[in-house]
Amino acid sequence: MSEELRVSPIETREVQGKRRFAMVVDLRRCIGCMACQVACKAEYDTPLGVNRTWVPYKVVGKYPNVRKQFLPRLCNHCDDPPCVRSCPVEATFKVEDGGFVLQRYERCIGCRSCMAACPYNARFMLPSHRTYTPITNVVDKCTFCFHRVTQDLVPACVQTCIGRSRIFGDLNDPNSEVSYLVATNATQVLRPEEGTKPHVFYIGADRNATEFARDAYRKPEVMEQERSAFKRHFNI
Amino acid sequence: MGDYVWFHDVSWHATYAIYFFVIGIVAGLTFLSYLSWHNAALKPIRARSAWAALVLLAIGGLLLIGDLSQPLRFVNTLNPFYLNFASPLAWGVLNIVAFGIALVVYLFLMRKGKDGSGKWMAAIAALLALGLPVYTGFDLAVHQSRPVWNTPIMPVLFVAMAIASGSALASLLAGGNAATQASLRQYLLWSTGAVGVMLVSILGTTHYGGSAQELTYLILTTGTMGLIFVGIGIVAGTAVPIALLLAPFGRQQFSVIVAGLLVLAGGAALRYALLMGPQQLQTLY
Repeated sequence: MSEELRVSPIETREVQGKRRFAMVVDLRRCIGCMACQVACKAEYDTPLGVNRTWVPYKVVGKYPNVRKQFLPRLCNHCDDPPCVRSCPVEATFKVEDGGFVLQRYERCIGCRSCMAACPYNARFMLPSHRTYTPITNVVDKCTFCFHRVTQDLVPACVQTCIGRSRIFGDLNDPNSEVSYLVATNATQVLRPEEGTKPHVFYIGADRNATEFARDAYRKPEVMEQERSAFKRHFNI
Repeated sequence: MGDYVWFHDVSWHATYAIYFFVIGIVAGLTFLSYLSWHNAALKPIRARSAWAALVLLAIGGLLLIGDLSQPLRFVNTLNPFYLNFASPLAWGVLNIVAFGIALVVYLFLMRKGKDGSGKWMAAIAALLALGLPVYTGFDLAVHQSRPVWNTPIMPVLFVAMAIASGSALASLLAGGNAATQASLRQYLLWSTGAVGVMLVSILGTTHYGGSAQELTYLILTTGTMGLIFVGIGIVAGTAVPIALLLAPFGRQQFSVIVAGLLVLAGGAALRYALLMGPQQLQTLY
């Protein structure tokens, strides 16, 4: 990609001396064990009912040739993040070196504007009561494990991924594994039409599986019934 | 069978829709109070409109702050070192504060009987009031991934709805004054007509959009949301008042008041549906 493709000054692609961390999720290797989700929950004490990363699936094919198509999801740490633009108090910001999109908890007023702006539903509101962590009633999201990466560790979900489906690294470094994977494989990003330039790349994602879930095509009443059942299950 | 869908919560809840409704009426009433300096028929509602706007502004402000998950951090939005001017919300906060101050000064001047400066202050307050529906419209319009919201017509629609709702409430405040009611009938008719045209335009472009647009169109026009948006908002709250005001008995005070009540109910329903409807689909992504 050429630097001429940068349309916003916030973008960091191919900027000399700046890192641009990205994650490649190789769906051919994902077995849907949800270990990434559990590792993330353990790392951050994420409360019940909300997730920084989650692994939805769709059953594709026709019996007897059916399989589950997993699509691990997390914040895309967009190069041009709409959440950063929409926050009235700059509680959400992009780290210039690395491209992490992070949250200042002490500044967040809880207007949920960033949640409305995110096309990926990556943001959520923390509940008012938590057992071990005092951060409550503010918006939270995946940080690409900023605290680990700055100590030369990989994110918790990458560390735990049993099939090495998740690979993390600097996309501005031509010798990194993520650069190699993105250069040598057909990769997909979620909702490219939104112009957010996500930093989570998928290998082997079917466009049909990355669109709206099956429930979106049901009658609103049926959709509402399923939503109520889901909320009852998680006691939200 | 067996798909695993994670249901996300909507970002903005109904409180925000009530705030949109209240702040729209505030803007509409302030316009009318300003227009009363140029239209003698509106003079009887000049002070009443301004006072009602102040009361509703206080209610709207409390709703807005109460809807924050960290209400006490509302002061952060007034901190110049924190403000992000790329966000319509930041502009909105400044607009509300400036408007509140202008409205209080305007009421003070009116109470002191200073007509000259009061007229100027009314103009300033009306200009700042224009910013209220404009910013609320932009608040929605800037979200590029949301069908219906992400249309340039949204701020204009909110301005038209503000004039309609303000005129509707003013028709109740005007009581039995025939000249005032006749003048308000004009504002009610034209602004509701403009709302109707814009709603048809939005529904048309949404229906002929991509998959997200088409699904949002379905959500907005079927089931309970369809009843609120089409039934109460478009039919009972827009089409029926226009028909009522254009009918042979449409110039009677009773008709204007009934049309005003319908427009108020429709305005509340439209704002609720326009806020909540386009969020439903996103919760399934």
